[in-house]
Parts: sequence; structure tokens; C-alpha cells
Amino acid sequence: MGKNEILDTLREVIERPRNAYLDRWRGNGGKVMGYYCSYIPEEVFTAAGFLPYRLRGAGSKDSSDGDAYMSSRICTFVRHTVSLALRNELDFLDGVVLMQNCDHIRRAADIFAKKVKVPFNSFLSVPRAPQERLFQWYLDEVRRLKSEIESFFGLTVTNADLEKAIELHNATRERIARLYELRKRDRPPITGEEALGVTIAAHLMPKGEFNNLIDDLLIDLDGKSGNDTYRARIIVTGSEMDDPEYIASIEKQGALSVAEIACFGQRSFGDLIPAGDGDSLERIARHKFFQIPCARMVECFDEQVEMLKNTVRDFNAHAIIFQRIKFCDPWAGDGHSLYWRMKQEGIPFLSLEREYKVPAAGQVGTRVQAFLEQMGK
Amino acid sequence: MTILGKERKEDWEVVYEGATGLIDLYEEDPESKGMNSILIGFRNFIDDIFAAIDEGKPFVWHNCGCSPELIKGLDGVQTMPIEVLTVLQDLVGEVDFTVALIDEAESHGVAPEVCSIDKAAVGAVLKDLYPEPACMLYHNTPCDSQIAAIKSLTEMMKKPMRLMDVPYLSTDREVKYLAKQLQEGIPFLEEHTGLKFDWDKFREVREESNRTAEYLRDWNELRRHRPCPQVSKIVALNTALLVAFSGEPEGTKIAKGFRDEAKERIERGESAVEGGEEYRAIWYQDPVWWDLQFYDWMESELKLVIPMDLFGYYAPEALIDTSTPQSMLEGLARKNLKVLPMSRQFKGPIDYYIDDYLRMCADYEADFAIFAGHVACKHGLGGIGLFREASREAGIPLLYFEFDMFDPRVTSAEAIQEEITHFIEDIVAPVKETV
Repeated sequence: MGKNEILDTLREVIERPRNAYLDRWRGNGGKVMGYYCSYIPEEVFTAAGFLPYRLRGAGSKDSSDGDAYMSSRICTFVRHTVSLALRNELDFLDGVVLMQNCDHIRRAADIFAKKVKVPFNSFLSVPRAPQERLFQWYLDEVRRLKSEIESFFGLTVTNADLEKAIELHNATRERIARLYELRKRDRPPITGEEALGVTIAAHLMPKGEFNNLIDDLLIDLDGKSGNDTYRARIIVTGSEMDDPEYIASIEKQGALSVAEIACFGQRSFGDLIPAGDGDSLERIARHKFFQIPCARMVECFDEQVEMLKNTVRDFNAHAIIFQRIKFCDPWAGDGHSLYWRMKQEGIPFLSLEREYKVPAAGQVGTRVQAFLEQMGK
Repeated sequence: MTILGKERKEDWEVVYEGATGLIDLYEEDPESKGMNSILIGFRNFIDDIFAAIDEGKPFVWHNCGCSPELIKGLDGVQTMPIEVLTVLQDLVGEVDFTVALIDEAESHGVAPEVCSIDKAAVGAVLKDLYPEPACMLYHNTPCDSQIAAIKSLTEMMKKPMRLMDVPYLSTDREVKYLAKQLQEGIPFLEEHTGLKFDWDKFREVREESNRTAEYLRDWNELRRHRPCPQVSKIVALNTALLVAFSGEPEGTKIAKGFRDEAKERIERGESAVEGGEEYRAIWYQDPVWWDLQFYDWMESELKLVIPMDLFGYYAPEALIDTSTPQSMLEGLARKNLKVLPMSRQFKGPIDYYIDDYLRMCADYEADFAIFAGHVACKHGLGGIGLFREASREAGIPLLYFEFDMFDPRVTSAEAIQEEITHFIEDIVAPVKETV
């Protein structure tokens, strides 16, 4: 398949809660485990024979069912996902593993537990500072999760299963890294809108099939000459981002997104889990716990800034566009600090507030246009 | 007005003057032992802060999710909750000053939906109103807004900060986890304050906390009396007591003042509501701190009393075994997890939040409940549907509205008054009449 065909296929994968790959997986007797956050060790699900499925609100027409349980001051991403769950549109889930990402998702977890009643429901208590002194707690939580899955579903997850899962997920990471490598070119062969569609799909379909598709995509992209009509290269960061249309509305102004450092974008993959003789589960846990930290984490802001600066440098970007879903508190704190830190660093920084599933193309267009003009682009 | 004989920044002088004015007012009323004791406590706290600045004592900042006893184990340290100025300004000073701090933070780029108390803390730093800390010790409770504030303040101050990670649940496993972190936090505090942690001092602090706890436990019991003996506005001040005065004789004095006033008024057969109480309600989530007279209005106009609220509820797990360092650390961890108002209810699963509510409604024989949803409390607003269902199942009429506990611009006192009045007229009174 060529680029356009593959991107169309992946677009279908991300459009609605269900997709053809997921249905086929289930049709073959496969089970599906839902989760919200990249601090949940999805490799454990793969090792246990599950398809890891990252929860999002695609296909939700409105958030009214969620609104019945949550105030309008809860972020629209959460209200949409909860709405889908309450409407039984996520009935393909055999289980969910949630955590206290933030106060909003913590309450979504309560609704999942009390109202959605997915057969298996577990909760991971994840520390809020990626520090060695707290790692043992996280590791114990991951071990507990593995035992709970084994006991509930009557299965055993061996070290060999975990190693296979690491290999499979690493293969995905490798491919995403190669995709991102192509985006460093002066003429990237893929837009931000397209690339985000790819990385979102990686969270919603069997990794093996995803990897095969991306192999073809990478071959096709490698030989392609890309877009050189952009006015500026930008990094999109901030709160979760699983809406390619939003990126499209930025790119329509001539700001080419060359990296999405956000959940569902590059931040969700990170480096490879290193090979080693040690305990496989501990290697997975270490990789998750010490990943590029997000705003929920404390005592790591310098690392977050360093990573962003390196991304700007490596991708030859001119600026950062920070987007945040309205009412997201963790990113509100980081947005404030990042603005001033980037100002010090001399990196142009635009902060946008958005609602989930509302591209607000007009508003975004105006802001981005003015931003580019300010930069002299 | 000067503080310790010196002119200080206007914001601080305003709260000092406010506290002094109210002390003068309440001192004339010998029955107001509770209000008197906390007002004197507030003024003493301001004195302590400025004395510490003048003496060059090291400051350790903490947040309202952190009971400060561990820090007080360092002899010669001054603790300072980052929320201190906002709380004092709203309670005894002039709310316009809080509003100005909120605006300062927002114009600096802090998102409007961050909690107003956290925005005001950022504003206070921007206006250079806080003494520089030697270091900061924060707990990741009670909410995400605190996380946002902690990160912003750390970035702005460029001072060493350590996080005590408060996990999701509150079982013995979590107690041990937090106790270990508290212990590991001691070298951090010693390194940055230059002071030695003294286990005997820590024991004294913990014993003092236990004395405070005994009074608060009695006080909670006494407020169950029908009619409620003591005014509504004093209840939530318990949280200010715990965050600022835990482990200090001043804290015990305030708690004793609360207890004595309630006890004596019961002995005299007095009610908080002149003319007799007609309605009792549990006030859940956050108090109206920008207008304490609001509570006077409820009592005088509606004959409504709040015998207990979330900020006043003092859980029975408060007493700490002071026999060994480990028992003290675990006791402090337990207090942070299971006693400190907000941290106790706001973290963890919704059951933690709802169970206390139902218990309070039952224990205090509430006719109805008021869910005063502070707009920044996403954990509360995110659980409102489940909360309503639980309230309905328990047969407790529930009034829900959203407002801002530190910023009167979001919902006015008049609007809240109207909500409560209509709710009583339309829902509570007819039921009561039928009964």
C-alpha cells in the first residue's frame, strides 16, 4: 500500500471507538484492555494476550451522558470518554486499568467502577514524582496489577511473555522513531495532521498489524519529497492531543507541525525499553516511570524543558505551540512556567486553550496567523 | 498600623489591622471564646512570621495538604503555608487584596481555572509579599491545582523543593509509604535550613498535636447537640487551625477555645440561632470565606445552622502514638492521609468523599445538605453525579451550586443566599412540615 492508502486506513481506525482491526481481534476471541495514560504499562496487557486500547472520545457526538455525572468544569476529553462508556459504545472492553492521572480522570475511574461496570477494573496508584525513591512503590503497583490480571482471567504471564511484549512494543517505538526522523527533513514527507493520525492509531489496534502498515508507510515516505511551502516549523505540545483536525487547522496557516510532544503523539512512545537479563517487569516499569514526564509529575520540570529544547533543536523548529484542554489543571501550571522559560530561551511560544472535539478552526487560525506574523514568518 | 513596630507591606498590614480590629470587637463578648482564640492565633502567627524575618530564621514553605509537624521538628525554623495571606485576607482583612493577587497571577499567565487560593499564592510571590524560603516541602494533596501551584512556585522561587507523594488510598500500606518519605525528607530539611532535626522536639510537637486533637474531638461531639450551641462560621476555621498551628500550644489554645465555648453554651442552654434553630444542614466542599457574615445571615434570616462542614470535621484517627520515632512518623503520615480536612476526602476514590458526607449528615442530624462547589475543586465537581445519587439514596435533600471560596466575583453572596432561601422554601420546609 502507498502513503495515501495507509493514511486512509489509519484514519478509519481513529474515527470511531471501534475499528476493523479491533473487531477482527475480538472476532478471533481476543480480549481488549482499556487505559487512559502512558504511565499504565500496556506491555503487561500485551503479554497477557490483550489488545491495549487507549481511551479517547472519538466518535462521541456529545458529552451529555458524562455531563449528567460531571460538572461542565470537567475537561471535555474526560466527559466525552465517559459519555461513550455510559452509552455502551466501549462495550468491547474486557477490562480497564485506570489511575489518578488528574482529578478529572480519577473521577472518571469512579464512574467506570460504579456505572460502566467493565468486567475487570483495576486502579494503579502512580507516584507524582519520577524519582528513584518512589520507584519501588510503582513497581509494586505494576506487580500487583499483573497478579490481578492473572487471577481474574485465570492466566499466567511469564517472563518470556513479557519479553515478547517488550519486543513487539519496541518494534512500534522503532518505527515511530523512524517516522519522526523523516520529519526532521527540510521537506518532511508527512504533515503533522497525518503523523498524529498514525501515532493515535498505534494506541487502538494490534501492534503487529500496525507495525506492518508502518513498514510500508516508511518505505513510501522515504522516497517522497515533502512539503516546503510552510512558513514555520513548529512543535505542538501540552495536554493530550488526539485530534488531527486541530493540527490541520494550525497547519492551514502555514505552520507545519514537525513533532507532537503530547499524549497520543511522540511522548507516548519514548525510547526503547532496553534489553537486559534483569526482571522483565521491572524493566517495563522503569521505562514507564522514568519516561518523558508530563505535567502531572513534579520534581522534573527541568527535564521537561530540556526535552522540549532538544526537540526544537533536533527538528529545526522555529516555535512551540502549547495547547491545553480547558480546565486541565496540571497543564495550567506547566503552561505558565513553560511560557516564561521559553521566553528566557528565546523560543517563540504560543499558548492555546481548546475544547475536545471542537477544532475552532477560525479562532486557531487567527491566533496562529498572528503568531507567525509576530515571528516575522 | 505596624507589625512588631515596623512598617510592612500593605497587604500584611491590612490583615494585621483586620485581625486586631476583630479581636477588639470580640474581646468585648466573653462568650466568643472560639472566635477570640483563633483571631488571636492569626495575629500571633503574623507576629511570628515577621519576628522570624527580623531574626533571620529559615522559612520552610508548605501547602495546605501538608500538616507541618515534621518541619517543626527543626528547632528554630519558621513554617509558612503558601495559602496564608489569602486565607487571612479573606477571613480578617479585605477581600479586594486577594482579588488583586488573583488578577496579578492571571495577568502573569496562570490559567483562570486554577484554584483562586493557588493563583493568589502566585500573585503574592509576584508582588514579593512572602519571605524567601530556605526550601519547600509540599504534599501532592488535596488537588491538582496544588500541583500546578507547587510547580509554578518552585519555578519562580528557584529554591529546593521536595514532594511527599501522597498515594491514592489510605490503608496501612500507604501510611508506611508516606512515613518512609517523611523520614527521608528529614535530611533534605536539615540540609537546606542548616538546622538539626530534634526527635525530642518532634515528640513535643506531636504531643501538642494530640492535645489539640483531644479538644477538637470533643468539640466535634459537642456540635452534635440540638440545638447547635455555636455559630456556623467557626466550623471551617478548624482547617486554618490545623494547617497553620498543628503541633503548637497556640493550636491547642484555639481548639480549647472552640471546645470551651461550645461546652459552656450548652450548659447555659444557648443556641447558635437566636430564637431557636429551625434547620440544620451539612455544608459540604468549601466554605464562603470572603464573607463570614454570610453565616450570620443564614442563622438570623433562615434559622439555619451548620453544625458541621467538611473543613471542620475532625476524624477520629487523629491521635498519634508518640512512643517511638517510627510510631510518630506513621502517626503523622496517617494524619496527612486520613485526618487533614480536604486531603482526607478529596484524594482517593469517591467513596472516601461520599462516606464522610453521609456520616456527617447522620451524626449531625441534618435536615438537608449544601454542596458548595468551589469552581476549582475538580475532584468534587467531577464526582457530583455520583454524590447526588448517594445523597438521593440516603434521602438527604441536596442543594448544589458553584462558587469560588476566595473570590466573590464568581458567584455573589446574594446569588447564594437566593439559592439557599428557595431551596428551603421549596424543598426542605414542605418536607419538614409534613413530618
